[in-house]
Amino acid sequence: MRVAALTLAGLEMNSLENYRKSLLALLQQTGANLAVLPAYSSVLIGFSTGNLPPRQKFKDIMHDPPFEYGEWLKTFLDLSASIARELKIYLVPGSYFNRESGCSFHSACCFDPEGNMISKQKQTHLTREEREAGLSRGEELNLFTVGDLKAGLIIGNDARHPETGRILALKGADLVLHCGALEAGFNCWPQAAGIWAQVQQNQFWAVEAQLSGKLAGRIFSAAPIIHGPCEITPGQSGYMARGYPDNSYASAWLDEPARRNLIKKYPLLQFLNPEAYGELN
Amino acid sequence: MSITDRLKEILYQRYLVWLCRPARLSRHLRSVLPGPITPAAVDRKKIRAAALQIELKLYKDPLDYADEMHRRVKEAYEAGAQLVAFPEYNNLPLFGLLPGIDKMEEVYGQNIEEGPGNDAVNSISLADIFSFMTPAVSPFIEVLYSAMARAYGIYIMAGSYPLAEKDGLVNRSFLYGPDGRLIGSQDKVHLLPVEAEWQLKRGSSFSHFDTSLGRLAIPVCMDATYYETFRILESRQVDIVILPIANLEEYNYWLALRGIWPRVQESVLYGIKSALVGSLAGFTFTGRAGIFAPLEITAKCDGILAEVERSDSEAMAVADLDLDALHQLRRNHPWRDHNPALFRRDRKDLSS
Repeated sequence: MRVAALTLAGLEMNSLENYRKSLLALLQQTGANLAVLPAYSSVLIGFSTGNLPPRQKFKDIMHDPPFEYGEWLKTFLDLSASIARELKIYLVPGSYFNRESGCSFHSACCFDPEGNMISKQKQTHLTREEREAGLSRGEELNLFTVGDLKAGLIIGNDARHPETGRILALKGADLVLHCGALEAGFNCWPQAAGIWAQVQQNQFWAVEAQLSGKLAGRIFSAAPIIHGPCEITPGQSGYMARGYPDNSYASAWLDEPARRNLIKKYPLLQFLNPEAYGELN
Repeated sequence: MSITDRLKEILYQRYLVWLCRPARLSRHLRSVLPGPITPAAVDRKKIRAAALQIELKLYKDPLDYADEMHRRVKEAYEAGAQLVAFPEYNNLPLFGLLPGIDKMEEVYGQNIEEGPGNDAVNSISLADIFSFMTPAVSPFIEVLYSAMARAYGIYIMAGSYPLAEKDGLVNRSFLYGPDGRLIGSQDKVHLLPVEAEWQLKRGSSFSHFDTSLGRLAIPVCMDATYYETFRILESRQVDIVILPIANLEEYNYWLALRGIWPRVQESVLYGIKSALVGSLAGFTFTGRAGIFAPLEITAKCDGILAEVERSDSEAMAVADLDLDALHQLRRNHPWRDHNPALFRRDRKDLSS
């Protein structure tokens, strides 16, 4: 399977149609069967295409997100489904805010090559800013099937919480798809401490999409990365492919037999010691 | 094994016990260690720690081993360290006491992939040797590290040692206080595959220790491969995790990054990694000792307070730990969160 992680850098967003065209062209260029877009994609596209009223401050997006619900979210998801269908690929169109039972969530989903939504996932661990804004936590992490692989979604701040990757791995995840957005001005280490570390301690693949661009006064910048266990990646780095933040995407082929062979030789999860974990909750 | 061979084995073991006897070591230490030094006052904003990288050498006389370990403690003390950490498998240098160890090294070295050839060495594993040496090594290290901690008035994490217990071999780390008292120990909870093959008995819980330097824990090597270790220690408000390692692999920056560094980032505490490097019996150990902190409280936002340059030779990393800064970060952490509902559901799902 060929996978791609996108940043949204360089895409035309002055209209929905132009966005659609440029995303289609980019996805074709990657040659991927599965593509992941970064966090906050729906908001950024909504603002840029004029489908959402602009906000001056990023925190306003989370503090007052109801404008996100309803028509725009439907438009965004329909557009994403049509792109998946047209290219016959699996597509994670990035993240969005949604409401359920009176609560606000930061969520993502995955479409299959027929354009069916095959998985929805809520972010399960919130930043201080997200908590203060009144977002709620999701309470489950689920797998879905992508080709021959079992996949799970990890959204935003969940990347820094190893519980998420471990839960998915113990359920049998082969692949984790991450919609991320990290504020600019830091360095590569938060990404290493996030998805890279989750991959190494669970031996799954990961497609890490990171937002590159300015959103409501906040600048986001981090590298799109395709991760694998160190032993089966170039230079034993854990990176199958790693772009720069201003690159539009990173892509790679996943050599699943190699990963399975590695796990057969060194089944890391078999050496877990649940007897010692009684106090974890 | 013939009766004669068994008799030789018993006699040699008794010789080792005699050679490593505490009285002999104590007498020697009295002549080389300073009189007890009053521990330095503890400044919670500046606790100086030293992570030692020990180069594996074999010693024919245990007093030479003691002198070498003392040299490293003295070096750390002179650098101002209040806490000194030794590596995993810190009794490997004492394999030099065994007759024919050079031969064994030759045989294992030639056959590291397939195991030793058809030789007398064939049936002997490192685990057998650790067990054989335990009666000599165990009291020796206790006296040595206790005496050094007391002499310099510092905390010493003595490293870890595979030691034979009644019901099996354990890989156990030790922490000594500035009064020379054994504060506590920790059995390795997560084993390497080779340790599992040796039928090492894994620990079933984690310990923590309240000291004047804060709350400390001393898990061992692979325990840092699993986030659960550090999450449990974080939940107990452990401030400093001291991790002895002996990585059995050629050095690679990324492979080496997989242990304590990401765990410190996930669980918001300080991490000290002491490393054994060098070769013995065909096994090559590499590593880079270092002292790590959450990205948010390191100058370059890289999570590193100090790290030695070389992965294959003696070195020492020294850094100051600021407990107030750590606690301040914990109180106002920008992204750490806890989701008990997710955990409860997950446990239910996985158990079903």
